[in-house]
Amino acid sequence: MKFSILKKLILLTVALAVVMTACGDGDGDSAVDGPTIRLRGQDFSEAVTIAEVYGQYLLAKGYDVEILTPAGFRTEAIDGLRNDELDLIVDYIGGSLTALAPDAATSADPDAVVAIIGPAYEEIGATLLDYSPAVDGDAFVVRGDSPATTISDVASLGYVFGASAQCFERPQCYLGYTDPAVYGITFAETVTVEFGPLLGEALAAGEVDAVVWNTTAPQITEQGFKVLEDDQGLHPAQNIAPIISTELLDAYGDQLRNDLNELSAMITTADLLAWNTETDIAKRESDDVATEWLEAKSLN
Amino acid sequence: MTVIAQAAVPRDVGVFEWLFDPDSWAGTDGILSSLADTVILCAIVVVVATITMVPLASWLAHTRRGEVSVSWLVTLSRAIPTFAVAGLLVPISLRSGWGFEPWPIFIALLLLALPPIFLNTYTAIQQVDPGAVDAARAMGYSETEVLFRVELALATSVILAGVRVAAVTVVATEPIRAFLGGDGLGRYVRDGLGQNNDGLVIAGAILIAGLAGLTALSFRSVERFALPDGVRRLATTATR
Repeated sequence: MKFSILKKLILLTVALAVVMTACGDGDGDSAVDGPTIRLRGQDFSEAVTIAEVYGQYLLAKGYDVEILTPAGFRTEAIDGLRNDELDLIVDYIGGSLTALAPDAATSADPDAVVAIIGPAYEEIGATLLDYSPAVDGDAFVVRGDSPATTISDVASLGYVFGASAQCFERPQCYLGYTDPAVYGITFAETVTVEFGPLLGEALAAGEVDAVVWNTTAPQITEQGFKVLEDDQGLHPAQNIAPIISTELLDAYGDQLRNDLNELSAMITTADLLAWNTETDIAKRESDDVATEWLEAKSLN
Repeated sequence: MTVIAQAAVPRDVGVFEWLFDPDSWAGTDGILSSLADTVILCAIVVVVATITMVPLASWLAHTRRGEVSVSWLVTLSRAIPTFAVAGLLVPISLRSGWGFEPWPIFIALLLLALPPIFLNTYTAIQQVDPGAVDAARAMGYSETEVLFRVELALATSVILAGVRVAAVTVVATEPIRAFLGGDGLGRYVRDGLGQNNDGLVIAGAILIAGLAGLTALSFRSVERFALPDGVRRLATTATR
């Protein structure tokens, strides 16, 4: 009896050793020398795909990349950079603006937004690289049968408003919609709904009459909703842009900067919509969608 | 460019500063109103679970029916992840026009409350001293009288303990409702997480834990008073 337990233990140890050796084999084949780039996507499908695209692209270029399990949202991503848990994040520039300079004036011009957040990122030891032409902006979404065409039209409709918890404290979101100096809408009721497909379900079911979603949510056309025009210019420009630890960027020099800028320039808004359609409607895995896109562009 | 007059909500509130501020307690978004939401839903869940499970389990245990299948069923139902159940039910409920609340969270919590009440009632009745049951039969008690006046009486404290466990579990789990389009006491944790406001998260957690603790305490005193006189005398004799 005792012998068999011992034998099992030995077997287990050997098996573990084999597994660990096998896992260790992955190192040492990176073509570019430098520290590991730790990258983590925010926890919603579009951000996960974006992180996979950037991560797999850098891997294919020979960088040592660790794509971490997606977690949290913008605040966690920025905190990760600040606390040196992450080296690379990809964010929407207008979102970064609300997080880093919540009281700054918003602008639909990406360069104006970058002029504010660039220095703000420098303060936490990070560098904002070139923004992409791909935009995923805030969308004020209503059902297709709504008489409104602009957000201002909603003021008199007594709508029930649904959005994520983040929206309710943001000047560019709920605070701006209700602020008399901006839209001055009085909503009949507000409901906090987790950001994502549930927003569409709630809107379709008539639980809410208006939600704040993102412009590249494929369900908007899929479910016959419409995006109202932001006639007061409350929503900031929301191009995606990589933000990288300055220390890490300096370690690699211009090559990494150029590689990332080259990729950002190739991603378009249509790509974002196509990725979201794959992940949210066709229910495919983000990493597969990213791989296919990179293959189609001959980037990996 | 648009400049907004209203400033953003402060990122961090002090936990106790927030808890002791009368403004946090009042109003439709206040703690009192959230507390009422939570208590009402939990009370309904526990009452429904009790009035369905106690009679069913007593009868099954009295007649010694389905012992194996019952234990399997209960074990399986305990393995159900409540959040997943509620999360799956929300889209179904929305599509059927029943809204976010109360069905998804009610069903999920009910599934959580049923097993402890059922299991405690079943075991308590099953394990009543067979001598007492035989004595009652010998004295000419009918089967109904045996169940009500002997078995249920002797099982009271264990059954109530099952209800207490169910109530505490339900109260401690109900806050997931805030993540599924509802409100209740969980809203502070949800809002705090969404707005990166640690103070609010901690204050919300304190409120939830406090309510769960209070539920356990109040059930203890109910258990003390609800015990039938004969059983209480029995208990005092036994400990003497």
